Amino acid sequence: MTDADDGASDDSGPSRLPRDRLFDALDRLVAASATERLLISGSALLLSVAIGFLLILVAGRMTSCGSAAYSLFGVGFCYDPFLVYDSLFLGAFGDFLANPLNGQFATTISETTVLVFTGIAVAVAFKAGVFNIGGQGQLVFGALASALVVYGLSASVSGLVGTLVLVPVGLAVGAFVGGIWGAIPGALKAYADANEVITTIMLNFVATSFALYLASGPFKAPDSFANQTPTLPEYALFPQPLFPGRTDASLLALALAIAVAVGIAFLLRATSFGYDVRTSGIQPEAAEYGGVDAARTVVTSMALSGALAGIGGAVYVLTIAGNFQTGVPDYGFDGITVSILAGNNPVGAIAAALLFGVLKSGSIVVDVGTDVPPQLVGVLRGLIVLFVAMPEFFRMIGERVDVRDRFGGSRDAVATDGGEEA
Amino acid sequence: MSVAGAVDGLGTRARIAAATVVVAALAAVGIALAGHADVLVAVIALLFQKSTLAAALRLSVPIAFAALGGIFAEKSGVINIGLEGLLIVSAFGGVYVTSITGSVWLGLLGGVIASSLLALLFAIVCIEFRADQIIAGLAIWLIALGLAPFASTVVFGSTNASAGATFPAIDRLLANSGVPVVSTTVVAGLEALAGIPFLGALFEASPMVYLMFVAVAASWWTLNRTSFGRWVRASGENPRALDTAGVDVSRVRYAAVVLSGVLAGVGGAALSLSLGQFVGNGPTMVNGKGFIAIVTYLLGNYNPIGAMLSTLLFAGLDALQLSLQGQNVLAIPRPLVRTIPYVSVIVVLALFGRTRLPEAAGEHYESGEE
Repeated sequence: MTDADDGASDDSGPSRLPRDRLFDALDRLVAASATERLLISGSALLLSVAIGFLLILVAGRMTSCGSAAYSLFGVGFCYDPFLVYDSLFLGAFGDFLANPLNGQFATTISETTVLVFTGIAVAVAFKAGVFNIGGQGQLVFGALASALVVYGLSASVSGLVGTLVLVPVGLAVGAFVGGIWGAIPGALKAYADANEVITTIMLNFVATSFALYLASGPFKAPDSFANQTPTLPEYALFPQPLFPGRTDASLLALALAIAVAVGIAFLLRATSFGYDVRTSGIQPEAAEYGGVDAARTVVTSMALSGALAGIGGAVYVLTIAGNFQTGVPDYGFDGITVSILAGNNPVGAIAAALLFGVLKSGSIVVDVGTDVPPQLVGVLRGLIVLFVAMPEFFRMIGERVDVRDRFGGSRDAVATDGGEEA
Repeated sequence: MSVAGAVDGLGTRARIAAATVVVAALAAVGIALAGHADVLVAVIALLFQKSTLAAALRLSVPIAFAALGGIFAEKSGVINIGLEGLLIVSAFGGVYVTSITGSVWLGLLGGVIASSLLALLFAIVCIEFRADQIIAGLAIWLIALGLAPFASTVVFGSTNASAGATFPAIDRLLANSGVPVVSTTVVAGLEALAGIPFLGALFEASPMVYLMFVAVAASWWTLNRTSFGRWVRASGENPRALDTAGVDVSRVRYAAVVLSGVLAGVGGAALSLSLGQFVGNGPTMVNGKGFIAIVTYLLGNYNPIGAMLSTLLFAGLDALQLSLQGQNVLAIPRPLVRTIPYVSVIVVLALFGRTRLPEAAGEHYESGEE
């Protein structure tokens, strides 16, 4: 091993070298101009949508229907891709012009709020050089703990005081439990060299099963058939000053999410902790040489990452669900896509979360309004990650098209920072 | 750190043996702490039941095939963390083709093709477009996680689909083969051997179980005794030397990654077609087996035989877990019993997961010609 044997504390783990490469690549992404990053993310999105378009057509040939919903070059297809994408992207906004506070848009807002938390959770770990795929498990445990503690306390307070006490307590409990669940793979990585990609995925399975046990056994709502904890009273949830008809959208929660994202960006950029995190993410050896305790930084940033995912779980309970139910949506996995699409920038994650909020909310419209299975969004999610992972592809296309030359700009700057070091 | 350091010096066999001992000790301590010594006896009795071995062999198939695929890819320098996704698409592909053709063998082929195509996409993305292998592998998993239930809903109207057929057991397969001696004498011999208490399970398994053992041996031989195997290892350890010797590194890596798709495809199709159905909700029926496969070959130190032994360890735990659920030996709720394999993967990885990665694994290789 060339540079891996130099004795930094986290060397020779199974993914040591790829991680070097990973963060080299991410580093290049960071070094690339914001415009270029935006271009890559935008192109990845467009390309995924284009492939999704083909997929809808192919799926429309594989199923059978009375009359073709869409035809192209004389060939009939059972699904109309334009209708699907119209439902997916515009459907999420509902009848926005007539009533901005409509129910579908409320769903979009509430989904976005949770995704901001899971997105920045992944981003924080990434910055420290750790790939946290365990956001789902951290979110599930945060949600469960928050639902249980808030329910336990909800009998002793009520009204406005109840809200003022219970919501912060719920968030804190979610953060605490999610943080502990996140610190475990962090410690395993820092002190036992266990690859965090594998351990976090395994811990997701453990969390889901354990939550199922708690929600179907000891803490099951007594009068319910479903596996869920007792419903929380109205005053224990996030207040919804706007969106009165819906219980699941809170602009307060969204404002909190945005504030936390900005706060995390500040923490990473302007504090000594953030400096430790970033340097150990980009150059672990150099960070160690510079006096950063790499192992401790890994554990702390994973705990912070887990805490953010746990807050996401608490917000999910206190806005959308109103209790803990098994079968929590894939917010943790979507958070990976959000973070990667945002180039691991916490503020950029707000925009990426909005995009995924739209997709999640729109998939409901697709499910109701068309025959196309809503799992389409899952495919798009994977495609977006795939395309963002290969910036080289877009650079190659860019070089072929040679837009910059035509505009008289220099292409060299991009070519050098995009070029392989091999 | 110190434990892991001490473990580093162990050979493959010793590592697997140590891992087995640790897992067994943990289980025993767990049961003893629960205060039931008699339960411990019952669990050990359960462990040596024929049905447990049969389940362990059946559960080994997808993990072992995925692990073999992972070894080829990673030895060649491409870390394939998308094995889980390859298992998912082949599990669905197998059921889909079987439901159309009525033949599980064509279904197996369909699963292999589906998985190989996805592996080819992964190879192009990693080798041609220099994508980050970990993120691209994750994307392969996410794509499969969306695509298989999507296709299942389009074709079958539900995320769960029935193939309408399953692999026959070896004795029925041979009995129906019509080959003179095989369909009579050999079958009779197998049936007699199947009567042996514990090991009898070895003689009445699905044909995929035997194929698994063949594939393990063939993979070992290919990696260690053929020139292709030498190229694969060189491509992961020292691509420049391979390049200098006149072998195209990219082509070797393409071959290795597509081969990982073929192998994982056999595993995924075997998984769904041994049950005759595809289950596509939540994490799908694959349920982490692709990730467990990665741990098995790390524990087996990239040796196919080592990977097979560690696969048997995890599959054995899973089988035991299923028996525990079914026979209700422990007074522990089922969802908790279900976490046993995952927890043991974490423990084993933390204690024994330190392996020496192929030198150039994860790196893009650029031939000097450009």
